[in-house]
Amino acid sequence: MSAMPIVLPSNRDENWKYANLRALSRARFEPVPAPEAAQLKDIAARLPAVLPGYGRLVLVDGHYVAELSTAAAGFSITQDVDTHEKPGADQRFANLNRRFRQGTCRIAVPANTALALEVICVATASSHPALDITLSHGAKLQLIERDWSAQNDHATLVNLHLVAQVGDYAKLELARIGHHGAKAQALDTLELQLGTSATLKLVQLIQGALVSRSTALIEHVGREASLEWHVAALGEGTQHHDAFVHVTHTAPGTRSLQCFRGIAEDRSRVAFNGRMRIEPAAVGTQTDQSLKCLLVGHEAEADVRPQLEIYTDAVKASHGATVGKLDPDVLFYLLSRGIPPATAESILKWAFVSDVLAKLPSPELHAQVAAALERQLPGAATRALS
Amino acid sequence: MLIIKDLHARVGDRKVLDGLNLEVPAGQVHAIMGPNGSGKSTLAYTLAGRPGYELISGSVSYQGRDLLTLAPEARAQAGLFLGFQYPVEIPGVNNVYLLKAALNAARKHRGEAEVDAFEFLTLVREKMKVMQMDETFLSRGVNEGFSGGEKKRNEILQLLVLEPSLALLDETDSGLDIDALKVVAHGVNTLRSPNRAIVLVTHYQRLLDHIQPDRVHVLARGRIIRSDGPELARELEARGYDWVLNEAA
Repeated sequence: MSAMPIVLPSNRDENWKYANLRALSRARFEPVPAPEAAQLKDIAARLPAVLPGYGRLVLVDGHYVAELSTAAAGFSITQDVDTHEKPGADQRFANLNRRFRQGTCRIAVPANTALALEVICVATASSHPALDITLSHGAKLQLIERDWSAQNDHATLVNLHLVAQVGDYAKLELARIGHHGAKAQALDTLELQLGTSATLKLVQLIQGALVSRSTALIEHVGREASLEWHVAALGEGTQHHDAFVHVTHTAPGTRSLQCFRGIAEDRSRVAFNGRMRIEPAAVGTQTDQSLKCLLVGHEAEADVRPQLEIYTDAVKASHGATVGKLDPDVLFYLLSRGIPPATAESILKWAFVSDVLAKLPSPELHAQVAAALERQLPGAATRALS
Repeated sequence: MLIIKDLHARVGDRKVLDGLNLEVPAGQVHAIMGPNGSGKSTLAYTLAGRPGYELISGSVSYQGRDLLTLAPEARAQAGLFLGFQYPVEIPGVNNVYLLKAALNAARKHRGEAEVDAFEFLTLVREKMKVMQMDETFLSRGVNEGFSGGEKKRNEILQLLVLEPSLALLDETDSGLDIDALKVVAHGVNTLRSPNRAIVLVTHYQRLLDHIQPDRVHVLARGRIIRSDGPELARELEARGYDWVLNEAA
């Protein structure tokens, strides 16, 4: 391949200000062979139970694995490699994905039909999953996308690229859950476009990986398109989680909501940079940003940055950003009810992210996520879901 | 049940309790009244172990144990319950979860197994009837969006579920209308027992019309300056605090 070299972004770039680029620069991008049968057997034994009502697609290191998948309709796998690299710092990891992906998983939902799918992207070493989603007029897709480290102690790299065209009057409900190992590096780039009266509701849980960077580029191109973006990030140890969401409103009467809840413990760093741009034609647009972080640990760091760029009149735009610690009055209230300090803290941390996690689409997924969080939020997770 | 001897305590730089003595035997209800800023809430918080309420000297014996050496949660597990004047809101933690977690913490302390789910719900529903609370309160965040009266009912609901040995109720009557006051008082009265002591911190006689105290104490300038029977509350209601402050001076 005679492709041009890809230069990684730098922290001088405003959209990458909070990213851990030093760690990302050490990531090794290389082609990944298809998994062996023995590996697949091991992976199959450790995958979560299939969610009722959902078909399942499994990609291992970006390779589609038919024998671990249950979905029969609504998707196709093509081996084409997308060579249309795009310019700009926000596209650099997407471009790397384009170079290293092992085909593209295409999900197309025909007009006025509904589909529920779970896509599990398993990583054993380095993985470059690619999802290309198209919802036709009035279609509905409930998609759960999970990133799964095959081994907790392996230094895995995931660099996912997800593109979605949400057609007119279509509805995409996207839940994204990170089940990364302790040494994992997780990168993703999402490019989403919403048509007229299209709706997109995202719920994302970022946790587990040593370093993560999530880049989302969303455009409301159709009138009255609507977006809800709910993200919870849990950092511990020396983890570094950074999310950047850029929403562009180009059509009138569009709406978007960003809700971020981040908890930074120990020496971890959690960041959310939410940028909303309202173009001159986007008259009557409404936006709301609620970005909150909780610091639990003297050396933890949290950055929340709401940004609004408004180029028209007659818009409603509100934003709020806070970084704080556990409320000592609330903590004492729980202690005064006999609840031990560690449990009380865990309950309050769970409560802090609960309004995001409550948006998860199925009770079974709730239970699986709670179990995954049990180590970091002991006791509270499973009980809070009951 | 509770013996406080020469208790001195401060909040920040301000000394609030200044040689307080009080004895509350099991089976009795005591009311503590006093002017604003006299140290009533400080006493309640100091006994419950709230951070920032610092002991200077003195002792507090609860069921023969040194209460002040225990962590706040250990005091609660040992059977002390503080009913807050201003109960906090905890969005994201539902009422039923808090009740169950608190009950199980107490049971664990007593060496008992966690409460069975069916048994727990039966118990909570029974207590909610006493407090005339709708079951929808169970699934709501703790005190989240509750009115002042609903918060106080919720405090007493917790009290009824946890059945502590010693209840300190800090101005439980504040913010209650007449009907809610009767419900709250009824809830407290159902808990009266020979093995339990109740301390009511209040400004007003009206609560004591519904919960008959065995003793009434006047707390002023950080110490108990007068103790008497229930008639003292009526006299305070009629005459105010000046006369008793002057007598103590």
